[in-house]
Amino acid sequence: MRKLALFLSMILFVGLQTMSAQTKAVSGKVVDDLGEAIPGVSIIVKGTTIGTITRPDGTYNLNVPENAPAIIFTFVGMKMQEVPYTGQATINATLVSDTEDLDEVVVTAMGIVREKRTTTYQTEKVKSEELLVGQASKAAEGLTGKVAGLQINNQDNGVNPKKQILLRGMRSISGNNEALIVIDGSIVTSGAFNDLNPNDIESINILKGASAAALYGSRAANGALIVVTKQGQKGKKLTVGINHATSWESVAYMPDFQTEYGIGWDGEDNPVENTNWGARFDGVVKQIGPTFADGSYQAVPYAPIEDNLKDFYNTGVTNQTTAYLSGGDETSTFYLSLGRTDAEGIVPSDEYSRYTARVNVSKQIGSVKLSANTSFLTDETDVVGDKIGDQDRPLYWFVLNTPANIPLSEYSDWDNPESYGYADNYFNAYYQNPYWAIGTNRNVDETNRFVGNVSASWDIFDNINLTGRLGANNSWGNGKDWRAEQTYDATLQPYHSTVSSFVEDFEFQRDIYTTDVILSGDFNVATDVTLKAILGSSTYSYKYRESTLIAKNLSIPGFYDISNGTGQLEGKVDQSEKRTYGFYGDFTFGYKNWAFLTLTGRQDYTSTLSSDNNSYFYPAVGLSLVLTDAIEALKNNDVLSYAKLTLSNSTVYNDLNPYQINERYYKRTNSAGDVLNPFPYGSINGFDKSASAVDSDIKKEKLNTTEVGLNLGFFGSRINLDASYYHTKTTDLITYTTPSYTSGASGYLTNIGQLTGKGFELSLGGRVLNVGDFKWDLNVNFSTQTTTVDEIIDGVNEVALDSYTSGYGTYAVVGEAFPQIKAVSYVRHDGKVVVDSESGDPIVGEIENQGRTTPKYIYGLTTQFGYKGLKLSTTWDLRTDYVYYAQGLDAMEFTGRTEESVRANREDFVWPNSVYETSPGVYVDNTNVAITNGVGGFWRDKYGEINECYIRNASNLKVRELALSYDLPKSILSKTNIIEKMTVGFVARNLYTWFPDGQTRFSDPEFRNTDEGDDSNGVGIGGYFTSPPTRSFGFNVNIEF
Amino acid sequence: MKKLLIIFFVSVLFASCDDFLDVNEDPNNPTVVTPELVLPVAQVYTGEYVLDYDMANHLGNMLMYNWSETYGFSWYQEEFDYLVSTTFHDDLFDDAYLYCLKHYKDLYDREEKYNNYRAISMIMMAYHFQMLVDFYGDVPYTEALARGGNPTPKYDQAEAVYDSIMIQLDDAIQLINSESTSEVAFESVVNDVIFDGDMKKWKQFANTIKLRILVREANVKGDTYVTAEIAKITAEGSGYITSDVLVNPGYLKETNKQNPFWDSFGEDSSGNTTMNHNATCATQFIIDYLVSTGDPRIDTLFQKGPDSETHLGVEQGVVNLTSDYDQTHVSLIGAGLLKGYDAGAPIFTLAESYFNQAEAALNGFGGNAKDLYENGVKASFSYLGTEGVEDYLSQNIANVSWDYSNNKLEAIITQKWLGLMGVNAEQSWFDYTRTGFPSNLPISLQADTEDRPVRLFYPNSEITGNTKNVPSQKDAFTDKIFWAE
Repeated sequence: MRKLALFLSMILFVGLQTMSAQTKAVSGKVVDDLGEAIPGVSIIVKGTTIGTITRPDGTYNLNVPENAPAIIFTFVGMKMQEVPYTGQATINATLVSDTEDLDEVVVTAMGIVREKRTTTYQTEKVKSEELLVGQASKAAEGLTGKVAGLQINNQDNGVNPKKQILLRGMRSISGNNEALIVIDGSIVTSGAFNDLNPNDIESINILKGASAAALYGSRAANGALIVVTKQGQKGKKLTVGINHATSWESVAYMPDFQTEYGIGWDGEDNPVENTNWGARFDGVVKQIGPTFADGSYQAVPYAPIEDNLKDFYNTGVTNQTTAYLSGGDETSTFYLSLGRTDAEGIVPSDEYSRYTARVNVSKQIGSVKLSANTSFLTDETDVVGDKIGDQDRPLYWFVLNTPANIPLSEYSDWDNPESYGYADNYFNAYYQNPYWAIGTNRNVDETNRFVGNVSASWDIFDNINLTGRLGANNSWGNGKDWRAEQTYDATLQPYHSTVSSFVEDFEFQRDIYTTDVILSGDFNVATDVTLKAILGSSTYSYKYRESTLIAKNLSIPGFYDISNGTGQLEGKVDQSEKRTYGFYGDFTFGYKNWAFLTLTGRQDYTSTLSSDNNSYFYPAVGLSLVLTDAIEALKNNDVLSYAKLTLSNSTVYNDLNPYQINERYYKRTNSAGDVLNPFPYGSINGFDKSASAVDSDIKKEKLNTTEVGLNLGFFGSRINLDASYYHTKTTDLITYTTPSYTSGASGYLTNIGQLTGKGFELSLGGRVLNVGDFKWDLNVNFSTQTTTVDEIIDGVNEVALDSYTSGYGTYAVVGEAFPQIKAVSYVRHDGKVVVDSESGDPIVGEIENQGRTTPKYIYGLTTQFGYKGLKLSTTWDLRTDYVYYAQGLDAMEFTGRTEESVRANREDFVWPNSVYETSPGVYVDNTNVAITNGVGGFWRDKYGEINECYIRNASNLKVRELALSYDLPKSILSKTNIIEKMTVGFVARNLYTWFPDGQTRFSDPEFRNTDEGDDSNGVGIGGYFTSPPTRSFGFNVNIEF
Repeated sequence: MKKLLIIFFVSVLFASCDDFLDVNEDPNNPTVVTPELVLPVAQVYTGEYVLDYDMANHLGNMLMYNWSETYGFSWYQEEFDYLVSTTFHDDLFDDAYLYCLKHYKDLYDREEKYNNYRAISMIMMAYHFQMLVDFYGDVPYTEALARGGNPTPKYDQAEAVYDSIMIQLDDAIQLINSESTSEVAFESVVNDVIFDGDMKKWKQFANTIKLRILVREANVKGDTYVTAEIAKITAEGSGYITSDVLVNPGYLKETNKQNPFWDSFGEDSSGNTTMNHNATCATQFIIDYLVSTGDPRIDTLFQKGPDSETHLGVEQGVVNLTSDYDQTHVSLIGAGLLKGYDAGAPIFTLAESYFNQAEAALNGFGGNAKDLYENGVKASFSYLGTEGVEDYLSQNIANVSWDYSNNKLEAIITQKWLGLMGVNAEQSWFDYTRTGFPSNLPISLQADTEDRPVRLFYPNSEITGNTKNVPSQKDAFTDKIFWAE
């Protein structure tokens, strides 16, 4: 483009060089807003024909008449700039892009490209460089904080972490609330997105609501992420590049611990306890652990060891390297990449490696363009098991069950019988050495994934195109989870039971195939009236199969094969299959290029509903008005460069999951997938009747969305503002309601009630400062979203989401924000806690609402300072007004490691600000009835019975990304003659997290309890299933040749 | 050209859509199964309901001061506090409906040729509904178990449920007997892991349950009703059970496949002693009681600690216990109760049947009370595998020797308590509420109340799932179930 402009400029200026008397020499340099030289800029003395063009390095020399009023710089695609002439010898200029935001094109549903001015709903685009600022190994992490209304939750911090992607909160009780992911036009699973190499992504366009995604039918309800991977460019010379990032990850913070008391029970020493109920620390060297046969024992000072648990964790290292190659000739393009990621986790010996390969090619043959976008991934994960010891506990549990005076990191030599870390010698009589756990419990698996599509696009006429696309998303893999047997010396470890061994061997295969046929045309139907018409069809087929074999009590130590088990082999197979197809039409009428009306309809057919009720029609209507073109007074305005108003309404439906429509007999399992139905016993077999009842008239779930949007550009689009308000109404929700168990069912799948969602989003951003070589870009976004349960069914006020666990859980509650945490509460009178008049213990109240589990307000901030090639970028994100249940505190209360447990100095105490009842309805202030067993028993047994005490304000501010990068100047690189571009950078991720004052920290509110099955809607409860939160630092280098 | 395109386009759309959607049949889970694949599931659940950790027998042993907590454990806080709440042993409510009754109802809804299965299901439903009433009072009965047909069943009066299940038991016996007059041949029962398809034994069990009901409600129902009902049992002619009613599908030493009591309080399938075993020991009160009455069952009910010469117990709720009361010293649950992973799970004992008959006889409804009483004690010794029952009974100690006991009812209930200890101890709790025996039974040191609870609270599942019907909670310490009012 610039080359062409240069050529044209040269022709233009050949005859224009004229001589003039009384001139002064002026020189200077013209650059673009990134500070790069622009060759071929035409420079004219105002009011004359005197002029020149810039050289390849952007510089120029010109003789200017002394009386010249100004110098004018012009370049194709850039804003004209006029600089007053007052006799300066040097005049530099910075030209900024002239493309108006509204003329940009956006990739919308079904891969249809539209001019932004024509879209009737809100979308937001995140480009590659924004995504890669923090060099995260997952694309989702790079999106965090950058898009209004988009909430990314890092649900764990393992070596291959899973992300939850929510757009505009949640709107279905039992259904899926995660955004649809589309890669290069084909629907894929969230796993395919998780596995995508972020370096291969060109851009992600976020279709925030159901209106934007309406063409996807039943999968549109949660909005969509339209991912476009990198393509080569036609006619561009070969680009070869390599990107490398290394980052180091370490524990950011541990829960808040007390450090006043150590190992013991009820105020007394006990060298083998997992608890901290000993006497106050005195620094005296004392025995810990068992007394050995020779009378010796381990002894350590009875004093707290700073960070004794944190030091158990390693610094993890992730290396991510991507090499890529792209280019094209006049008719074809290609992009190839190979990526390798190796990660060592913060948990010792946790490892993950993945290889990715991508081949994107296209070829133009006459009027037909053929293209293929394919990627392949293979990965290996080797992490500590999650069913450790005879209680099947996760690793973090064992770390937390280590008293404050134990030098945990000194027990790493667990395999050596002479070491204190050896199973028989370890100090803790109840929970094993975590290093031992790492060595004797492993989950090892490998996954392969192919994601790809081929498409043919035929420009039948200038204005009519037919595109066919076939997409595949196949993943398959296998793995082994195993645990070694551990027996104990009954004298040294009398309290330990033998840990039994097992091996669980599994394989899975998931296949998704999609087809799309799209016929589109652009027509002028009348004067000033245009029509973009789209007709299409799509099919979707999904098939999954997983088989598992479990062998227990293995005969040969260290041999993890199912042949090695004793007793009956357990096993199961899970399959599911779903198919849908649909037809759609989408008609956009344009009037004078400032008014657009879109009418959309889709008819879908699904395999999961009964055949007489399995098709449905989705209508949508939208309007877009470009006010700055429509209203004469607003045209050519220096301040307001553009203004667009949108209005849309759409209806989409959700169908069922495979097989849900029928009640089935089954082998009962728990949430972890363990089979609880013990049959068969020999020849006697037995099946459980399905846990949930199913409504025989079950039908589709309906979501209606109304959205108003406003897009404004100011000062030549230097500052942009996008705002939207939306209202969603979900009715006939397909929901596992909680019936009375006396009905003989623990769930009842039926259509219920109504949920309404309301939200508002605002993004404001642009270039705040542009002084010389210094640039400051700032983007802030804000969103608020609340989904409220309006009604369930008559007589039922709530639906439990996560299976109810002793005193707390997540629910949908009528009249409350969804989802809601409920927990056993204190009984209060006039705001004071009511205690028992004899024991002094707080009275255990009912299970009550504690608050919403999704943030009410989310604020995001991204900003970038640039000076020449140097860039400093940061992303912050603030989430407020929601709660979290810190499950792990409960367990730590038992071990006496919480800060709460020392609040009363381990003495009996009067519950602060409490009252007790003397006769019915009569309360007196409690000044004398003290809680007994403050030395331990109260905290272990009573305090946590009122689960309300573990509800935490989840509000937090995170520095998600901080990055400093430097583009080496072209002037240096050009001397190498090889390197075209080189960038080096330093990055930090999750640098810091602030919680409100006085808030005891336990973990990260984004984490969730991985023991609660796959119900992704049950967020807000977490604890000891995930290692402590981490932060990471690293560097990256990008070189292009 | 255009027409051609449109034809192509439309044909692509409609190509091969006929069977495309026909994939909604679950390949892994059946939608229809025959009753012999449901009956053993229901029965195994009944065994777990009675004998698993936290379930009926366990709660009974805690409330009847039989068992306590070993040093170093914090296992039984709620029980020691008598913390009756919506979460206190809530599985006794939930599991009855969700696991046991659901499957019996599934069998009851079968066609006529499965009438034997249906009769068994009616008897077992009566068994469970009685226990639900005994724990909770009013419970859903008439509208219960309709699943999607009625997600929020109304509650029935406790006494009405009792009346209904009495009739249901009669109907069950009649259904078994109706085969001779039926046009449809009844399928014989397969996979019956209680009586192996012996329908006479099912009739005996029905009669035995009826007597349990009658004895419990005798005081409020009046003699006329009880006399008439006992006459019906006699007239029916099958009599009462002749051995312990045990669930045994052929328990295996594998995960989840062991005898539920063994699995909870004995060893896991790898042969490891369970934590519950180590955490649960005798109370000193029961040790003293057994010693003072010369009861040889002390050695089968409890095992001596390896580091102890004598039996040692722990009072319920004692604080600041020392390690002298750890698992190597105290008396943990004994081998007479922990018979092995493959032992049958007792859901109704012969001993109890005799004691119920003895109480009926004592109240003049026929039979020799002394013989029945002594048979009850003998059946208890026999269950535990304890020798010396004759010597024991011949001691001149009240509530041991029939003749030496002034209060015969106290003797019956006290021996029933000893006989059901660790087996079906929940029945002793019901008896205690009704009769106040055994007398001088201590309460937990942690208790703020004068005596133990008399009922349980409706669980959270009902507060949440059946808000409009669940009755307000009664006082757990004063509002007795109707049969003790």
